[in-house]
Amino acid sequence: MSSLSIARGATGGLLLLALGGAQAKPIAFAHGTTVMTEYGAGTMIELQAFYAPYYWLSLGGGRLRLDSDVLSRTRDIDYLRANLLVHRWNLEAAQANVFAWGGLGRAHGNDFRGDVLDRDAGFQADCETRRVYASWMSDLHESRAYSHRVDTLQLGFAPYAHDYADLATWFVLQGRNYSGDLHRGIEWAGLVRLFKGGAWIEAGLTAHGKPQVMAMFNF
Amino acid sequence: MLKRMFLAITVLPMVAASAATIEMDVNGLVCAFCAQGIEKALRAFPATDDVVVSLEQRLVAVATKPGQDIADDVLRKALVDAGYSVKAIRREDESLDAVRARLKVKP
Repeated sequence: MSSLSIARGATGGLLLLALGGAQAKPIAFAHGTTVMTEYGAGTMIELQAFYAPYYWLSLGGGRLRLDSDVLSRTRDIDYLRANLLVHRWNLEAAQANVFAWGGLGRAHGNDFRGDVLDRDAGFQADCETRRVYASWMSDLHESRAYSHRVDTLQLGFAPYAHDYADLATWFVLQGRNYSGDLHRGIEWAGLVRLFKGGAWIEAGLTAHGKPQVMAMFNF
Repeated sequence: MLKRMFLAITVLPMVAASAATIEMDVNGLVCAFCAQGIEKALRAFPATDDVVVSLEQRLVAVATKPGQDIADDVLRKALVDAGYSVKAIRREDESLDAVRARLKVKP
């Protein structure tokens, strides 16, 4: 990844942080707009925007940059995506969700010629209370030139139970695995997540000291 | 004429005073985004005056404008359409400020 790309990604992330500040979900609430950006330790930069006409559906798109730290391979993917809430369990003091998504996009890379059709599919399963949180997300991008899957596990706990008007604080352990020669082994990171109202920020370091930042806004 | 005056003096203030607080016990309320979505859905009703959401008490309270009301089935549908389960709906005489103070919810 070029230093210019890193600078652009970091600038985008910092800009969003400056504006306000997640269990990031592809659908926040009905008639809501979600904007997310993530800088993933130099291997991934992603920006997404979705609008949810219903609590179980959101439509939008994103831009994903993948930069292998194993081989000098880059992928730039622009995509349109539909997210579906497959099922939600509303318990008295907990909520669990299963989301699935699919989309199409255009991609180019530095080890193949021209643009290729990108196919995106994934799912997320999560469960949370006001004090503990767990999620698993798998996101697959495929084309005739590549196949990459990013699997992310997050386990979080909150030192105190927050209410609507409070600043929520979470400590999150994240494990991420990239397939397709993007990264060797599981990338572990320790993150601090803060959110209040519709703004969420998550930042931390990987086990190798690389920054991991994510911000999300719902409105 | 006298009948109209009697109505104006006795019934209308009662209608005005019927500006009610409606409390709903809701399942699945665990985060600020849940609260944000519910608040947005309920504030969309013209009859809504104010909304309070307490994650701690798993409770949503709506104050309606004087003389106006929102039917239980309409409220239930709004919360279900927002993605949540409603356990109970009840009407209280308390003002929303009193509910806010009782629930220790910040304004």
